[in-house]
Amino acid sequence: MTLPPALSHAIVAFIVLNALLVLVAYVTLLERKFAARMQSRIGPYYVGRPHGWLQPIADALKLMMKEDIVPTASDRWVYNLAPLVFLVPCLLIFATIPFAPELGVADLNIGVLFFLAVSSLEIVGLFMGGWGSNNKYALLSAMRAVNQIISYDLPFIFAALVPVLLAGSMQMSAIVTAQQGLWFVAYPVIGQLAFVAFLVATLAAENRVPFDILEAESELVAGFRVEYSGMKFALIQLGEYAHMLGTSFLGALLFLGGWLGPGPAWLGPFWFLAKAILVFLVVTWVRWSFVRIRVDQILGISWKLLLPATLLLLMATGFVVALRGAGGA
Amino acid sequence: MTLETVGFWVVAVVLLASSLAVVLTPNLFHAVLYLAAALVATGVVFLLLDQPFLFAVQLLLYAGGVVTIVVFAIMLTERLVGERLVQTSRHLVNGAIVAAAVFVGVAGFLIRAPLEAPHPSQSVDTTAAIGRALFGPFAITLELLGVLLVVALLGALYFARSEE
Repeated sequence: MTLPPALSHAIVAFIVLNALLVLVAYVTLLERKFAARMQSRIGPYYVGRPHGWLQPIADALKLMMKEDIVPTASDRWVYNLAPLVFLVPCLLIFATIPFAPELGVADLNIGVLFFLAVSSLEIVGLFMGGWGSNNKYALLSAMRAVNQIISYDLPFIFAALVPVLLAGSMQMSAIVTAQQGLWFVAYPVIGQLAFVAFLVATLAAENRVPFDILEAESELVAGFRVEYSGMKFALIQLGEYAHMLGTSFLGALLFLGGWLGPGPAWLGPFWFLAKAILVFLVVTWVRWSFVRIRVDQILGISWKLLLPATLLLLMATGFVVALRGAGGA
Repeated sequence: MTLETVGFWVVAVVLLASSLAVVLTPNLFHAVLYLAAALVATGVVFLLLDQPFLFAVQLLLYAGGVVTIVVFAIMLTERLVGERLVQTSRHLVNGAIVAAAVFVGVAGFLIRAPLEAPHPSQSVDTTAAIGRALFGPFAITLELLGVLLVVALLGALYFARSEE
């Protein structure tokens, strides 16, 4: 079969995108069930016929039929564009993730950097929504988000760079290959510390609970999306979960060896998916166990603890790599 | 016309339009959004020139970093303090004259260059080449830039210190 490369890329991208949307829908179900078990809320155990499997579809249908409300005082263009600007980067981050050797949209040689760069654009959509809504709560939420993202982008990048240094490459597939002997999470001292830093920074970057001051229901109603309804709300929600899933995939790839695992090669993508879901569940576990912390505490954790720690870690990794020579574990 | 040329013209139009909008729109927040669009379009130009590394850095530092900080400043001053900041272009005519002069100067060089330059072959990995150059022949420059950033950071700390 010989398709022109542009066409075959487009087909692969289309398949990945659709698989992703289904996955995102069911990840929300997973989170609900998980949270319900943790908090002994019996509703989500029972709702829907076969174990609630139809719930995400019902949700999607409901959201599509809801009325689309645009506040009269809103900045119309900014308000309407914001969900799209928010969603696109969240879906684009999947472009460089290989799900198995040779199975991905584009295995760029700057894969990790591309991921970090594109996911940093998400904030533009977020503050467009917060500003465009012309609502005090939404604006405060967007302010807090900008605050938090400025603080946590750097530790996140530094933590993600540790495996890059260890593997000697920014290409996602090369990082996985470098973990063939030893997953980077098992790398003595450096690996575990970097993984923990990565998880904490992930929680903050995804605005999950200990760091969710920007949607703090008790004070800001729902944060920057408070004015959105119907399909636009669905797009924002979709983007948020896609971002979470993408970061989980990145974590599984950088630290847990991606598709590596026992069994035949075709099991690879399933291993990868299982590891990504594991990272996702750890994040969810933290989300449903802790309480929200204050703004100054959030900023303090980043600037006084996480940033210096990840910088030192990066330096230490540099020394280790220089001593043993780059590439491979 | 190849696909690449079409892509370039699309990006060029977006880049020009959004850059003009940055200076012409009176609404400060809209100006920042146009700036973000212009910066992303610049990144796409890098991508069209087969420089994915520059593309990613452009997005990360400018579209992700600088724009965020500018928005932070605007949000703090305008909406929360309640002061309406309006961006005006008082020296529109003078600015246009200077811009036209610069354009004529640049165009003077461009006219002499061959229009259909051959696409340079990418035999080497440019990302690796940039890395080698930065830590090889340009290592001292890089270190000096690092010192400059540290100085800037210390300066910022000095201004932000509590008065005691």
